[in-house]
Amino acid sequence: MKRDSINKVIIYFILIVFAFIMIVPFLWMILTAFKTTAETMQVDPFVLFPSVWQVENFSKVVAAMDFVKLYANTILMIALRVLCAVVTATLSGYAFARMNFKGKNFMFGIVLFQMMIPVQIFIIPQYVMVSKLHLTNTALGLLFPGLVTAFGTFLLRQAYMGLPRDLEEAARLDGCNIPQTFLFVMAPLTKSSMVALGIFTAVFAYKDLMWPMIVCPNPKKTTLAAALANMSGQYSQKYPELMMAALISCVPMIILYIIFQKQFIEGIATSGGKL
Amino acid sequence: MSRMKMTPREKNETIWGWIFIAPTMIGLIVLNIIPIFQTIYQSFFKTGDFGKGNKFVGLANYQKVFGDTEVWQALWNTVKYAVVEVPISIVIALILASFLNQKLKGRELFRTIMFLPMIVAPAAIAMVWKWIYNSNFGLINNMFGVKVNWISNPDIAIYSIAVIGIWGVIGYNMVLFLAGLQEVPRDYYEAASLDGASGVAQFLHITVPLISPTIFFVLVTRVIGAMQVFDLIYMIIDYNNPALKKTESLVYLFYKYSFEQSKKGYGATVIVVLLAVIMVLTVFQMIGQKKWVHYD
Amino acid sequence: MKKKVVAVLLSAIMAVSMIGCGSSSDAPAPAPVDDNAKTEAPAADKPEEKAEEAPASIGESVKGELTVTIWDEGQRPGLQQIVDDWSSQSGVKATINVVDWNSYWTLLEAGATGGELPDVFWMHSNVAQQYMENDLLLDLTDRIAASDKIDLANYYQGIVNLYQSGGKQYAVPKDIDTIALWYNKTIFDEMGVAYPDDTWTWDDFAEAAKKLTNEDHWGYAIAPGNNQEGFYNTIYSMGGNVISEDKKKSGFDDPNTIKAMEFFTNMIAEGSCPDLATVSETAPNELLCAGKTAMSINGSWMLAGYRDNEYAAANCDVAVLPFTKDPSDRVSIYNGLGWAAAANGKNLDAAWSLIEYLGSKEAQIKQAELGVTMSAYEGTSDAWVNAVDCFDLNGHMQMLNAKLVFRPYSRVTTIWEDMMTEKLKEAWTGEKATADVCMEIAAEMDAALAEE
Repeated sequence: MKRDSINKVIIYFILIVFAFIMIVPFLWMILTAFKTTAETMQVDPFVLFPSVWQVENFSKVVAAMDFVKLYANTILMIALRVLCAVVTATLSGYAFARMNFKGKNFMFGIVLFQMMIPVQIFIIPQYVMVSKLHLTNTALGLLFPGLVTAFGTFLLRQAYMGLPRDLEEAARLDGCNIPQTFLFVMAPLTKSSMVALGIFTAVFAYKDLMWPMIVCPNPKKTTLAAALANMSGQYSQKYPELMMAALISCVPMIILYIIFQKQFIEGIATSGGKL
Repeated sequence: MSRMKMTPREKNETIWGWIFIAPTMIGLIVLNIIPIFQTIYQSFFKTGDFGKGNKFVGLANYQKVFGDTEVWQALWNTVKYAVVEVPISIVIALILASFLNQKLKGRELFRTIMFLPMIVAPAAIAMVWKWIYNSNFGLINNMFGVKVNWISNPDIAIYSIAVIGIWGVIGYNMVLFLAGLQEVPRDYYEAASLDGASGVAQFLHITVPLISPTIFFVLVTRVIGAMQVFDLIYMIIDYNNPALKKTESLVYLFYKYSFEQSKKGYGATVIVVLLAVIMVLTVFQMIGQKKWVHYD
Repeated sequence: MKKKVVAVLLSAIMAVSMIGCGSSSDAPAPAPVDDNAKTEAPAADKPEEKAEEAPASIGESVKGELTVTIWDEGQRPGLQQIVDDWSSQSGVKATINVVDWNSYWTLLEAGATGGELPDVFWMHSNVAQQYMENDLLLDLTDRIAASDKIDLANYYQGIVNLYQSGGKQYAVPKDIDTIALWYNKTIFDEMGVAYPDDTWTWDDFAEAAKKLTNEDHWGYAIAPGNNQEGFYNTIYSMGGNVISEDKKKSGFDDPNTIKAMEFFTNMIAEGSCPDLATVSETAPNELLCAGKTAMSINGSWMLAGYRDNEYAAANCDVAVLPFTKDPSDRVSIYNGLGWAAAANGKNLDAAWSLIEYLGSKEAQIKQAELGVTMSAYEGTSDAWVNAVDCFDLNGHMQMLNAKLVFRPYSRVTTIWEDMMTEKLKEAWTGEKATADVCMEIAAEMDAALAEE
């Protein structure tokens, strides 16, 4: 039993150290966001806590950036991408896992191949397409590269592979045709993988930088990530305001995450991940 | 399997199979496969301004790449980044995941904290870390009373960037490992405990082999991801930075050539080289997996 | 129950997805993309969304909105006021978007390749030639000739010429910038050094920088990328050059150019300037705002940034740049942006009308009055001096009387400027002798110019 409690201490120690490392940048972001510019550049003595919490940094940044609009754009883009990814990947994942048809292996090879390609290869041709469709600076333009997902197809295929065969046989004996079997029997069983895919898609869409920067330069139509990157080029002398903007951009995400964290982690946790 | 006529059921399955994969495949072909060929095609050209007046130059761009020390340096930088980021983030995430898979007080809280960096915009991450690393006004140097040029000393800047990469990706890896651990039967550990196996031994002999498929999945996807590092370098390493040459990655070079210097043909060549490197690495990992990945 | 909901949802989703996701997504999307609907829909629910694409011609139907893109946030509020004046006359709305310098060129490059540029935007000497030669900019020649507001003789000639190619004019000059010496009065007082004035030579400058340096701050700060805001001025002042008149040959092998570059190498080596690591993490202008450097050489476009920084506004001021032998070789590298329009814009008449207004004497005076920048229209900048109370802007104004040298450029300026920045690091970190580095720059620059 003694060994156990020593183990516990070591485990907690390691966990606390890493939790601390994970959190320090956030703390620093918060502290810096409420300082004056002079305080951020003072080293002797070094300023950890703002002497007066500069609350007006908040109003300054909110006046300069329309966060409500940016959030709306970002959420709309995420919603569209998640919807498209889940729908297309569920369908194709099922077909790749459970159906036999000519050309399947070749097509799946394309899916795997796409996962290996640096995304930057697609950017210019995709931009030209969006531009020809007159979709620059629109939500559909932001959605565009997320219409389908090779990663999601792969993830859902794994999920369907793990389901027992006899389910389908039973459904077939009950007189279900293929789409019915898929819709009423199989798809509901992979809900957690769909959730996982939705979460991954949302996180990656939220963090996507290069695409919105190119396709949505209009600050009113673009996403948070791009607006923030743009701002960092603009306000180089004003660290507190930069940090405030960064803070405002991530606080709602963090709150959302804390509220949904159970589904969040369980959703991913049940999806497995075998190659 | 017969080469004769398909049974009605096979026919039915073929039709529905194609209908089911059609949206994905059409999307992938239009959005990804055709652009790949466009890019490869472009790498044989010296592009004129704004992609007009392209001149076919055969393999000249490739010859130039092989003689271009900047490209080789960038490849080396990218490899250094990946070699640090991928294994360290995997090991740390694996250890944390195995801790958090046990019944512990505050488990939820720790999970939440470890995953926080995943949901922050890359620009915010870059801004904060750039400020933490700042050699004059930064947190690290002033807290520890040292004077290290974390992001402008050519010898260490790439590792400083890799630290940020590790910080940002631990949570993602950890969650995938937690997922893998769900499938490891509890009784394995109980049996091992009864045999007197220590925690470390259990970790090495039960946890690691049993979730090796997940480790492999994370490894392959993270290598691909790490080889494409761009955002962090682009936002942290300023153009005046003496460490630029020793930190710029292949994707950074691609961006510089394609967008900043409008040499799209040469930019395309650089990215095709990266594609080749990634494919070789992936194939090696696929071959190597037989030695250590255990599928049940 | 729950199962049923999921099933219904899925079948609905599937039904749409059969015809491809592209169409499935316009169900939830609030922004209608139907092109036909737009013609009769008079800016109903989503006015901005539609208006942007709607063809509007000035005078008759006024439902268009122009996109104007610039890279300097400091200038946006003032310029938006001027643009609003135009809107109230023309009835066409125009909104200014700010995109930071690097993204700006990425954006234009992508737009030029893909075919969709902003309606009205800034042009810069670095790339103007390329954009003009490829017919991406609207040819303004005939419109200028027909205009009663624009007469190109009224503007600084170097800027007018910059935006000419093949006998055509592609942009209307917007502003003129000069370079001056910004300094921190508090540090000067503290160290007992007299403020810089028009009697300073570059040697006085280096001498003062040395005296102004202690553990807390440096005398002066320069980064390898500070060309126009730094060593270009010194090079021309000392009799060197960066590029030959015909833009075929680099001037970096000129002994005077090398002398000017060594001037800065020495200041860094002596410690009166911070090392490159410092300036690459905190730019010279940020160091000035932090009280970390006593002097910084900056362009007049920095005014808004310094004005809005509490520390700089309270402690800093501006003086003319030093000269080398006598005041006649006091040099300011000048440049001027131009207002240009996309050749394939949706609303060329409105775009031209806006550019015409922005170039008019009225708007150019207002631009100076608001303290946005000095104006390209000669004689309209006097008001600029009084635009702010916190600085004596005569430092910048008087540089207009110095020897004005146009910022060195060629067809592909960026390529050799990037290379120059990269190479200079080796000289300024002391890795290589400055003279050798300059010769290397000259050789590579000649090669780049030969390829143009």
